[in-house]
Amino acid sequence: MAQILDIITTAAILYVVCAGLLIVFGVMKIINFAHGGFLTVGGYSALLVTKMGWHPWWGIPVSFAIGCVCGMVIERLVVRPLYARPLDAILATWGLGIIIGQLITLGFGREVQFVQSPVRGAIDFAGASYSQYRLILVGAAIVLGLALSAALNGTRLGLQTRAVIMNENLARGLGINSGLVRFITFTLGAGLASLAGALITPLSSVDPNLGVPWLVGAFMLVMVSGMSLVSLAIACLVLGGAQVLVSTYGNPVLGGLTIVVLAALLLRLRPQGFARE
Amino acid sequence: MKAIPVARLASTLGALCAGALMLSTVAQGADPIKIGIPVGLSGANSVVAPSVVQSAELAVEEINAKGGILGRKVVLEVADDGSGAAGAQKAFDSLLFQKKVDAIITMETSAARNAGLPIVTRAKKPFIYTSFYEGRSCNKYLYVNAWVPDQQVAPVVDYFMKKYNSKTYFLIGSDYAYGRGMLAFTRKYAESKGGKILGEEYLPMDGTDWTAIISKLKAAKPDALITSTAGGAPNVTLTKQLRAAGVNIPYGNLAVDEGTAKSMGADADGIYISGSYLTNIDSAKNKEFMAAMQKKFGADLKTPNDLSVPQYEGVYAYKAAVEKAGSTDTDKVIKALGEVAVEGPRGKIQMNKQRHAPLTIYLGQVQKDGNVKLLETFKDVDPGEQCPNIK
Repeated sequence: MAQILDIITTAAILYVVCAGLLIVFGVMKIINFAHGGFLTVGGYSALLVTKMGWHPWWGIPVSFAIGCVCGMVIERLVVRPLYARPLDAILATWGLGIIIGQLITLGFGREVQFVQSPVRGAIDFAGASYSQYRLILVGAAIVLGLALSAALNGTRLGLQTRAVIMNENLARGLGINSGLVRFITFTLGAGLASLAGALITPLSSVDPNLGVPWLVGAFMLVMVSGMSLVSLAIACLVLGGAQVLVSTYGNPVLGGLTIVVLAALLLRLRPQGFARE
Repeated sequence: MKAIPVARLASTLGALCAGALMLSTVAQGADPIKIGIPVGLSGANSVVAPSVVQSAELAVEEINAKGGILGRKVVLEVADDGSGAAGAQKAFDSLLFQKKVDAIITMETSAARNAGLPIVTRAKKPFIYTSFYEGRSCNKYLYVNAWVPDQQVAPVVDYFMKKYNSKTYFLIGSDYAYGRGMLAFTRKYAESKGGKILGEEYLPMDGTDWTAIISKLKAAKPDALITSTAGGAPNVTLTKQLRAAGVNIPYGNLAVDEGTAKSMGADADGIYISGSYLTNIDSAKNKEFMAAMQKKFGADLKTPNDLSVPQYEGVYAYKAAVEKAGSTDTDKVIKALGEVAVEGPRGKIQMNKQRHAPLTIYLGQVQKDGNVKLLETFKDVDPGEQCPNIK
């Protein structure tokens, strides 16, 4: 039972971490390598909340807001001029990730810091005592997935976004302001990454490299999920589950490699990954 | 293109060289003694590194205020080793061959120490290692004034067996020399005392997800848990996730220092720690040291700990050795280091046991408010056979 919970909660954490990267990739066709930087920003937003003495739950809206603001500024100044050069944009976001890490080091110091956790301890769940916070993260992932799906499928902007995802030139021809869609998407992606950073801090420590270990795994998961939120969920469950199983029955050192290796194999055998087409 | 007159170029160069020559002769008289500190300002050790630098700064300030070493001023050269092997190679290289330090005195990870040792051997300079570590690192130039597993593990295991009657143990560590070395010793020691090890698990040093290991721990249902991670981030993530998973068995942490425990807040509550220094050691020397640290750093003071205090004493040990040797000559200083004794916050420290030092070990438990309660004191624990082949 504990193992099933391990798999589900691990998948939930991965889903939360990857969602922002996925929507940026979906609309803009660039992998945002500053994603790790935004995760770190989220972690430090949670730290600010702790330092202000606010309740830890405030970390969620605060980190989202700070992430969105960072995303807006960066989209306008760095990413927008590079829309026509996707490869350069990838390089630029990579550099951006490094710059964010260094700025945080300057502002907060290199050392590991501590954020208060909103809930502590374990609860009994389905016959096993299990970490309360990890279970909450499952709820967070589900809410996040539903909210994003609702926004994409239920709003005018979502419709326009889907149009841009399918065929940007055609969408522009129909009078959709694709620049605005891109701006909003990048902002949202940064906000979600920052939110994810805040959500994982109770399980990790806050330091300027907080986001780095997550980046490669998130990148691989997005690569195998194509552009769909549903296939991302499947990818997180399958690959995250494999990671837990390898760590449990094999060894955790190998477990750390599982996602990357499996994703690479999968892309070799089935280039569309978990996507349907 | 305008040609530069060769004669003028030559004369300029000549003047420059002469100037440099003059400068170096002028500096000769008051040439300071340089102490190199490669330390993990970034990476896993970044939690503790600032406190190490602070205590070295205090030692140097005190020494210089009293006229330096053999009348020469002492200066520190600090370099970031990134808490790992790659960073350490750069840091040692630049300190020993560019900054030309007279000695290396530092606390760092075992990975960094092992990477630095060959460079120290090449540079032929004394190296005082001030971090507790997994033991049995032997090198002609190396002295260690902090504890090894033989000194530190026994008190924890003995206490668990006596107090909780713990028969079964689970061991968790970071996958590197210190983590594996400490736990290998713990396994041997616990088994020799009739204990049983139910599991021994490792995560890479930069790993953050302890999920699978914690599930294995819970499934094994041991009486007690002993961990030995890299200091800093891995220690914090493991402790947080253990507490989140509701693990409440006796928990001995072989790698947490008082300062880290304090900043971890409620998650550190109840953890057993053992080491050669606690801030509330009741001695005049320690009170003097604490007051001086407080005065020098005020609000910026990083809590002195079992890694920073040996650093302070290490600088003094070097001073004593150089004074005994009458020069900074490496061979003489190396010989003297094994003979001199330093009276420091931890008491009298003499690195006279195969390059290691007998130490008084304290067993403590972290309280709710982050302070460490002293449970037991073990006087002058011997480091055991560390380097039998070194003279």
